[in-house]
Amino acid sequence: MTRLPADAPALVEVRQVRKCYGSHEVLRGIDLTVYPGEVVALLGSSGSGKTTLLRCVNLLEQPTSGRIVVDGSAIFDRAPDGRDNARISGREVAAMRSRVGMVFQQFNLFPHMNVLANVMEGPRTVLGEDDATNRARAMDLLAKVGMAEFANRMPGRLSGGQKQRVSIARALNMRPSLMLFDEPTSALDPELVGEVLNTMITLAREGMTMLVVTHELGFALEVATRVVFLDQGAICAQGTPQEVLLHPTNERVRAFVNRFHATAELMRPLLQT
Amino acid sequence: MFDWSVITQNAHLFAWGLVVTLEYTVITCVLGLIVGLLIALVQLSPLKALRIIGMLFVEFFRNVPLLVWLLWSYYALPIFAGINISKQAAGILALSLYGGAYYAEILRAGIQSLDHGQADAAKALGMRSWQAMRRIILPQALRQMVPPLAGQTIIQMKNTTLLSVLTVPDLLYQASYVSSFTYRPMEVYTVVGLIFLAVLIPSNYLARRLEMRRH
Repeated sequence: MTRLPADAPALVEVRQVRKCYGSHEVLRGIDLTVYPGEVVALLGSSGSGKTTLLRCVNLLEQPTSGRIVVDGSAIFDRAPDGRDNARISGREVAAMRSRVGMVFQQFNLFPHMNVLANVMEGPRTVLGEDDATNRARAMDLLAKVGMAEFANRMPGRLSGGQKQRVSIARALNMRPSLMLFDEPTSALDPELVGEVLNTMITLAREGMTMLVVTHELGFALEVATRVVFLDQGAICAQGTPQEVLLHPTNERVRAFVNRFHATAELMRPLLQT
Repeated sequence: MFDWSVITQNAHLFAWGLVVTLEYTVITCVLGLIVGLLIALVQLSPLKALRIIGMLFVEFFRNVPLLVWLLWSYYALPIFAGINISKQAAGILALSLYGGAYYAEILRAGIQSLDHGQADAAKALGMRSWQAMRRIILPQALRQMVPPLAGQTIIQMKNTTLLSVLTVPDLLYQASYVSSFTYRPMEVYTVVGLIFLAVLIPSNYLARRLEMRRH
């Protein structure tokens, strides 16, 4: 079911966002609104612009033009002619990012710090939080993602699935109001995908607002409240996963879904628990 | 053929020279690293004007022979800038800036070679760029850069011998002084070479050990 409470303020508002690399237009005027509690799956074939769109939300990627509002504050606002409608300082952008967690395809754990230090790093450096509170919460989060016993390990000695679970804990330790996932399972061996998806399912069931770029159609079907399908830099279909994925009217979506049918079956056992 | 008595009789001069050489090596390396880090950061700045300044700095010091630059800082700088500069200060200034240019290139390359995902992850947590640099980028980049930095430091030590042209009493200056009244240049310069070997071979070995520990 989609939750679209008309009176709840949006958590993310993306308006007419365009992104060009030279003459190549990766995003062609995207409009996307995410409400608190939604789990939005961004789907599309590679090169469709879904990762670029996700990275625009926390400004790891600077759009060419458009407007982005996160958690009530405009963090990017540039007219199509390239003129800035608002001056937004680096401090404001950093403050926004501190409230938005991000999980990367390649994990990007800090290899010179152990697992616990990775999870504690954000609150320690960005929020200046005291170590005792920080450590206690970090250990709770590590326990939640099933990594408590690895707190003193260096990231280099973890499996991909373990690394990704630590990186989820690292993002959660900032107590974000929104989590961005950039193909969190694409770099994993197939047998490790489940443990990461399980962690994400738990998070979704707790009501975390999530924007997820993924190829796991099973996850999109069972966990997402809304599916947004991108094709060549534009949204070509969106709606409930059932509408978009099980009864696709769009030709692009139909072709895409047919290729990934098998995945949904793999997901079923995970969701029985 | 060799008469080693000229060495033993003047051992105190060699010892003093070695101390001066080591002193200048340490001072100019530390200052050079600070200069190098500043220039490296300037070269990585988003501002084009700063990047150009950094590039000019590096190109200048890498393309002017050290000996020329050393003599120029001592003789020409006081005339142009109107400051009276001691030979010690001129030597330290010249060697630090010269070494700094090379350190800057090592540091810049090291920082740039680091996976972009690390900066992304730091920024995504809400770090400002200086926080990301201090907590995430530099600690990793410096570790990778230990071998080239150690190599440059060894070159820096050998370069201090050029200070003798400013009559800074380093090891080489003491050697030429001893040979001027003993008329035994062969023994004297052989010993200078041996002293450098004795100091630098273990340093090289240490640097290589550090490098191997990385892999």
